[in-house]
Amino acid sequence: MPQYSAFEMISFTGSRQLEDKKIVFVGTGLPIIAAMHAQLTHAPNLYMIYEAGSLAPILEIGMPLSVGDTRAGHKACYLKGLCAVFELAQRGFADYAFIGGAQIDMYGNIGSTIEGDYYNKPDIRFPGSGGAGAMAANCGRTIAIMALEKKRFCEKVDFITSVGYGDGSPDYRIKAGVMGSGPYRVITQQALFGFDEKTRRMKLLEVRPGFTTWQIQDLIEFELIIPPDVKEMAEPKEEDLHLLRDVIDREGYFLKRVIKK
Amino acid sequence: MLGPVSSKIKSISKLKYDEIPFEHWGLTATQTRRITEQKDHSMRDKRMTLKEAVTRYIKDGINLGVGGFVNTRVPASIIHEIIRKGTRNLTLSLQSNSICLEWLAGAMLLDPDRVSIKRVELAWWGYELIGIAPLWRYLVTNRIVETDDYTNYGMSVRFKAGAMGIPFIPVRDHGGSDMELVNRGKMIECPFTGENIYLLPSCNPDVGIVHTTAADMYGNARIFGALCTCPEISMASAYTIMTTEKIISSDTIRRYPNLTEIPYVAVDAVIEQPFGSYPGACYGYYWFDMDHLRMFRGLCDDFSKTGKKDGLKKYFDEYIFGCETYDDFLEKVAGHKKLRHLREMDGGQPIYTM
Repeated sequence: MPQYSAFEMISFTGSRQLEDKKIVFVGTGLPIIAAMHAQLTHAPNLYMIYEAGSLAPILEIGMPLSVGDTRAGHKACYLKGLCAVFELAQRGFADYAFIGGAQIDMYGNIGSTIEGDYYNKPDIRFPGSGGAGAMAANCGRTIAIMALEKKRFCEKVDFITSVGYGDGSPDYRIKAGVMGSGPYRVITQQALFGFDEKTRRMKLLEVRPGFTTWQIQDLIEFELIIPPDVKEMAEPKEEDLHLLRDVIDREGYFLKRVIKK
Repeated sequence: MLGPVSSKIKSISKLKYDEIPFEHWGLTATQTRRITEQKDHSMRDKRMTLKEAVTRYIKDGINLGVGGFVNTRVPASIIHEIIRKGTRNLTLSLQSNSICLEWLAGAMLLDPDRVSIKRVELAWWGYELIGIAPLWRYLVTNRIVETDDYTNYGMSVRFKAGAMGIPFIPVRDHGGSDMELVNRGKMIECPFTGENIYLLPSCNPDVGIVHTTAADMYGNARIFGALCTCPEISMASAYTIMTTEKIISSDTIRRYPNLTEIPYVAVDAVIEQPFGSYPGACYGYYWFDMDHLRMFRGLCDDFSKTGKKDGLKKYFDEYIFGCETYDDFLEKVAGHKKLRHLREMDGGQPIYTM
């Protein structure tokens, strides 16, 4: 197997979750790369929405570095503003929300506003919801990219920015007045998670070769559902890495980024 | 009237927050209408200098609606002039932005008697790929500004409600998240369907600031590329200052009236300012200047980590207070070769100004 990085594994795994003939509302960075990879492989009829206002752009002048980038509007079939594209999602035209976050709980509620539990004077302030809260509310299904660490996969998040299944009760999202069906996948470099249909709790689906299920549980504060049929995560092949490195992010803006703690 | 989630949600996260009674941070839709009714609605030449526009409309204590989106078509030249003039106790309303807000924050940290931000209602403050915004983090974690959080749709549609002249608008997001608890929206039961639905108050800034692709001297404007929320902000605000890349004739506007995204009635000052969004991008004209954004962000990061203001002060003295006009700034900071490179990076996106 060829060598690959964490970001490459996450992008490749993200791509595998996206079906053809769907619309994905993408956040900046790895979601864009994953969706571009999907378009170039198994999902040629997958289209993207970018929140500054574009539907189905053709990304031939380069990968957008921002969801408002000029590149994200290039050859779109519909180019308006934020209201127009979020209303596409609210109206039911967006199949997936593809977002990131800082913290997640077992019901897929995601925090990306603050760290520290006091809103008016937090320990750390993040940029804020951006589009994520609206995407998680109203796109069909939510896919999230997270770093697999105990402080991030926690019993309770500090602040729910993007609504998941709330407290897990069956009607939480209905009472919340949101339209999408909720959390669908959580992607990390070591494991892929889904959600149990009955309890709406996070469930382990796939583990990266070389990792055990208990190693994954060990990186998570809450108790995971670990079914007997956990699969091995597929790894990117040479041609996938070629697409990721030489075609999609050829300038290395996202895949070669160094994470500063 | 409040939906059941509103009480239940409190136990899901660890969140603690101050309960603050509702208050309008800017104008109400009705107050804004009354101001509009008093205006001269003729098509008159609204061209003026940035200095004249900012002196006339930017006052202490106003609610300022900031156009653009993150690094795209941001009203950077207007913010530059606002800082040079100085203004205190601003309330900022926006969806997502980067350099405009960090410039204001930097100016406040250097001299709060000149520029100060009292509170911010927003969805997002940062640079995306380039990184988080260090001064935003500094302001909030030190409780220097009051905040109110919405989604990008939430803020955009609040301007839309303002533009429609209505006091609130129902939306299908925010509910069930902690924004439901901390922001100024409310969950109600829909009087027609019985469903829970979240209501957001309109946002009607005292002054909106936007940058557009092209406009005539009356303020009829075209926008190419993403519209962001610029048409809604212009229509929602009591007064709008607009910079534009290019002034075009009114005949040109009237030839394709469907291309007008902002009508003249919504605009009070028109300033032709090429590269008016620099270091942000303007579709069809130039891409964003990542080097400059990184350089300025680095100075802010140094300040937030060390508390030393030297780097920031030098930047502001040189590039903001040391420039009489935005053209001076562009010449100093970018120069011909850089601007030419940014034009090339845009790749000549098709725009129509004929």
